[in-house]
Amino acid sequence: MKNESLIIKNLHASFEGKEILRGLDLTVKPGEVHTVMGPNGSGKSTLSSVIMGSPLYDISHSSRIMLGKKNLNGISPDDRAKLGIFLAFQSPVAVPGVSVLSVLRSAYSAIHGATKKIVQHNPVLSGRMVTPSVSFKDFLGIVKHEAKNIGLDESLFTRAIHDGFSGGERKKVEMLTALVLAPKIAVFDEIDTGLDVDALRAVSDGISAMKKGDTGIIVITHYLRILKYVKPDAVHIMVKGKIVQSGSYILAKKIEEKGYGSFI
Amino acid sequence: MKTTDLINTSYTLGFHKPEVYQYKSPKGLSEKTVETISGMKGEPDWMREIRLKSLSYFRDKKMPSWGADLSGINFDDIYYYIRPVKDRASRWSEIPEEIKDTYDRIGIPEAEKKFLMGVSAQYESEVVYKSINSMLTKKGVIFSDMDSGLREYPDMIRQYFGHIISPTDNKFASLNTSVWSGGSFVYVPKGVRVELPLQAYFRINAANMGQFERTLIIADEGSFVHYVEGCSAPVYSTDSLHSAVVEIIVKKGARVRYTTIQNWSKNVYNLVTKRARVEEEGIMEWVDGNIGSKVTMKYPSVYLVGRKARGEVLSVAYAGAGQHQDAGGKAVHLASETSSQIISKSISGGGGRTSYRGLVEVAQHARGVKSRVVCDALILDGDSRSDTYPTMNIKGPSPTLEHEATVSKIGDEQMFYLTSRGIAEHDARAMIVNGFIEPIVKELPLEYAVELNRLLSLEMEGSVG
Repeated sequence: MKNESLIIKNLHASFEGKEILRGLDLTVKPGEVHTVMGPNGSGKSTLSSVIMGSPLYDISHSSRIMLGKKNLNGISPDDRAKLGIFLAFQSPVAVPGVSVLSVLRSAYSAIHGATKKIVQHNPVLSGRMVTPSVSFKDFLGIVKHEAKNIGLDESLFTRAIHDGFSGGERKKVEMLTALVLAPKIAVFDEIDTGLDVDALRAVSDGISAMKKGDTGIIVITHYLRILKYVKPDAVHIMVKGKIVQSGSYILAKKIEEKGYGSFI
Repeated sequence: MKTTDLINTSYTLGFHKPEVYQYKSPKGLSEKTVETISGMKGEPDWMREIRLKSLSYFRDKKMPSWGADLSGINFDDIYYYIRPVKDRASRWSEIPEEIKDTYDRIGIPEAEKKFLMGVSAQYESEVVYKSINSMLTKKGVIFSDMDSGLREYPDMIRQYFGHIISPTDNKFASLNTSVWSGGSFVYVPKGVRVELPLQAYFRINAANMGQFERTLIIADEGSFVHYVEGCSAPVYSTDSLHSAVVEIIVKKGARVRYTTIQNWSKNVYNLVTKRARVEEEGIMEWVDGNIGSKVTMKYPSVYLVGRKARGEVLSVAYAGAGQHQDAGGKAVHLASETSSQIISKSISGGGGRTSYRGLVEVAQHARGVKSRVVCDALILDGDSRSDTYPTMNIKGPSPTLEHEATVSKIGDEQMFYLTSRGIAEHDARAMIVNGFIEPIVKELPLEYAVELNRLLSLEMEGSVG
């Protein structure tokens, strides 16, 4: 199945009457990594919430957010997730009493449930389409495998999600969720903030793996360092709710050296 | 006698059967009713006298001036005693088909086979079925209905009956002591541990019924028992009354856990007095789940009378449309180094109302007392309500007391987080609610935990969205 592109055109979004996104355009094709950088308050987190369909924002009628040919306007967050949109939250909220594993499991079955055909490389039935859905055992296998790849301790699985987690644990759980759900479009909102070098590398490896899996990716960041591990296909500078300049990795380097002064 | 689906469409135990009875007292309460109950049971004089005295206490006492609205109770419009069958059975096959079918639909016989050491099933006023694992009988464990207990162990019952909860304690304790019928009598000998739960199930079938079971549990030194009760009733357009008294004696070093999953239909007033006396190093744990009923007023108590005695009350309540759950717990520290913990989690939705009402009391001579109270309320919508009424009455020197109370709503952020994972709004809400009560649910045996979560999801389908 070929993944679709995310196409954002003339996006205007406001929160409690205040316009935050002011005509933003961005296209992310399958397997591409786009970095969005910008000063504080430029609307980066709003962009990620709006892509995911947060009900807190009002979107103007002329705005377009498309996944392939499908217009996402008016579609709820859960249905967007089912279409293949994913957001790794900058500061994910705790849900007391609800374990990491139960969120992953509910999410996985909501998104992939009985609809996804899994290709199982059964030695006997090699390469055949076998089951219409995944057993819990197989699901747990996927989760454990991905957790190992990013160095996330399994003891977190049964703890209440994000409840008392360290900054690094939160980011890793968000990364794990992305890997397990294997979305078509993934937005990472400051996934690199507050990570030590090892965790940063693990998370970057996760993003690279998703890129290889043909996921279209938006990385929102303040820092160059994650881009040393994940080479972006494009770098966008966002100021006051708009993309003001796009370029390559070199643009990001320039920002790190000189700041946003010339764009404001 | 008309069932109505107006009250709650999601209540699955609201079916009713044709009435079966050997004897049904006329409506209303009189000396004659009390005499008839006592006479039919062939009770000793002392019990008959306690009943009659309690009737006069009941008449003298005023209705509680606090708590939930009880103005809908008409004491003259209630059947106080219905004897459904002649004799108690110890095999399901001996029970009349209509009654047996009720328990089959609730799933009691199946549960008995799988994970219980003993079962008691009360229908209307009497226990119609009772069984106990023969291994337990050999060890000297007594698990019988209260009426048989009174016949077979009169001395033991006379020693404790009404001593933990006096007939004058409150109006509904007076009422129960006057017209009690059924309930369980449990005795666990020294050092005996009953590893699987004993379960009692209470069913009201008739309309305008009053059910007044009476339970006495005595855990002798160093013993352990877990007693579980469940309850349900048909949905009628008129109200029924359930008013139980439960007295528990936890002797030195013993431990008793008493778990309730209350799922009365929403036309039942549930006004229950539960109290445990805990001796030295004993542990009493109340785990109280209130999902059903129109009105519940229930505050399981621990009286910690021996050094290092410990008491816990874990309670979870859900109030939906037309419901008021006024619940909580009491810990009375009468000895040194005693400790208590009251954790209450309540959820109100669809215009329902929950109240936490609690008391922590420390006697003047009690030293080194510790107590912790946590009451958390979750309000699902703007029409629903939650209140907290904590009372502390501290006379003893510098006890360690903790009190935390939170009121929360399901946060937009939590909903956005879960729905962004593909989880539908309704399921996300249920997950948050189940997560909220998880600290209590994890204390339940697995089967009951699953049942409680299922009941809550059903309730929320009926009231939310």
